[in-house]
Amino acid sequence: MSARVVLESLPYLLRGTLVTVGLSLAVIAVGTALGLVLGVLRFVPWRRVGTAIGWAVELARAVPLLLLMFFIFFGLPALGIRLPTFPAAVLAVSLWMTVNTAEVVRGGIQSIPAGQFEAARSLGLGWLPTMRHVIVPQAVRRMIPPFVGLCTILIKDTSLAAIIGVFELTRAAQETIERTLRSFEIYMVAAAIYFLICFPLTQLARRAEARLQRPS
Amino acid sequence: MTGGPTAYSFEWSAIWRGLPYLLQGAGLTILISALAMVLAAAYVEVFRNTPLLIQIFIVYFGLPQLGLRLAPFASGLVALVVYAAAYNAEIFRAGLEAVPKGQHEAARSIGLGAWQAMRFVIVPQAVRIAFPALGNNLVSLVKNSSLVSTIGMVELMFVANDISFNNFRTFEIYGTTAGLYVLLVMLLTRALHLAERRMARVR
Repeated sequence: MSARVVLESLPYLLRGTLVTVGLSLAVIAVGTALGLVLGVLRFVPWRRVGTAIGWAVELARAVPLLLLMFFIFFGLPALGIRLPTFPAAVLAVSLWMTVNTAEVVRGGIQSIPAGQFEAARSLGLGWLPTMRHVIVPQAVRRMIPPFVGLCTILIKDTSLAAIIGVFELTRAAQETIERTLRSFEIYMVAAAIYFLICFPLTQLARRAEARLQRPS
Repeated sequence: MTGGPTAYSFEWSAIWRGLPYLLQGAGLTILISALAMVLAAAYVEVFRNTPLLIQIFIVYFGLPQLGLRLAPFASGLVALVVYAAAYNAEIFRAGLEAVPKGQHEAARSIGLGAWQAMRFVIVPQAVRIAFPALGNNLVSLVKNSSLVSTIGMVELMFVANDISFNNFRTFEIYGTTAGLYVLLVMLLTRALHLAERRMARVR
């Protein structure tokens, strides 16, 4: 272990960390908003539309994120859509986050007893007000633990952006290793930084999960 | 002749002399047990909270620096195994915790030992509870295995890269590859659903 190399490369790694955090926050914002809409839309009164959205979400979820990223970065130029590395990564990870959030939202909504929906509708509430004021507020409580878990997976998976050349924590580690040749130490430090970001979140998810188990 | 088997002279001083060492040993027993517990918990947390890609890179690029050189296949396998095991450990823990405490008490009160209660009463129920989550993990593993293409292990993703970088038909090749992953995941999900339903029937 060479502590000096680690200390000297720390500022560069922290610059990468800032990008990782920024990228994650942007994707969480976009993915949560779109995922919530998509997840709720699975329950629209028109069955066909709901089923079609369900299939689309399932298909997108079945494709590995790395492949999504390669498809967008290397594949889409064939259709004339040429994106630089950073937007391509944002698009791929946002798409991934959107469909996975939609799945979390679906699970949350399905856990609400159908009677709640029927009661709200029989009070004269339309479909959208029922969702907005009755179903979703109750479902959110159940969505929080899997959603926080999803966010940690997302933060870890932003590391894939390094493969198409986006400068973030993993890329910063790779570039440092190209200079110093100390792959073990540098990757360990990068792993430790990811750990410091993700560990509080998994603890939060666990606590939220435990709170769900207790009767409120 | 004095002495015989019964004429053993008990020597207290041996105890006094040995006791400090025995206590030291007992301390180490406690220490190593506690350490094992902490390390097991730390193992789960560390591998769940760091990116799989970095873990793969540490095994393939980092360990040779310490003198441990593994081929791409072995590196990929090791990284995927420790990663999936950490997630599965967490799922089993949740499964075991989800079995009501009364089940354990009931098993003990009908005369089963601690091990038997675990083996015949608690674990079968915990596995049934954990099964769907374990299945989800397996599906994630199939998708995550695409990451080992980055260290040159030949699998679906690697072959897709190889072909498309040669013939430049990236759109078609990656599209087809996505279709194959979808097919793989759908078949696996269907099989897991069937297994789950069969499990629910056998009661």
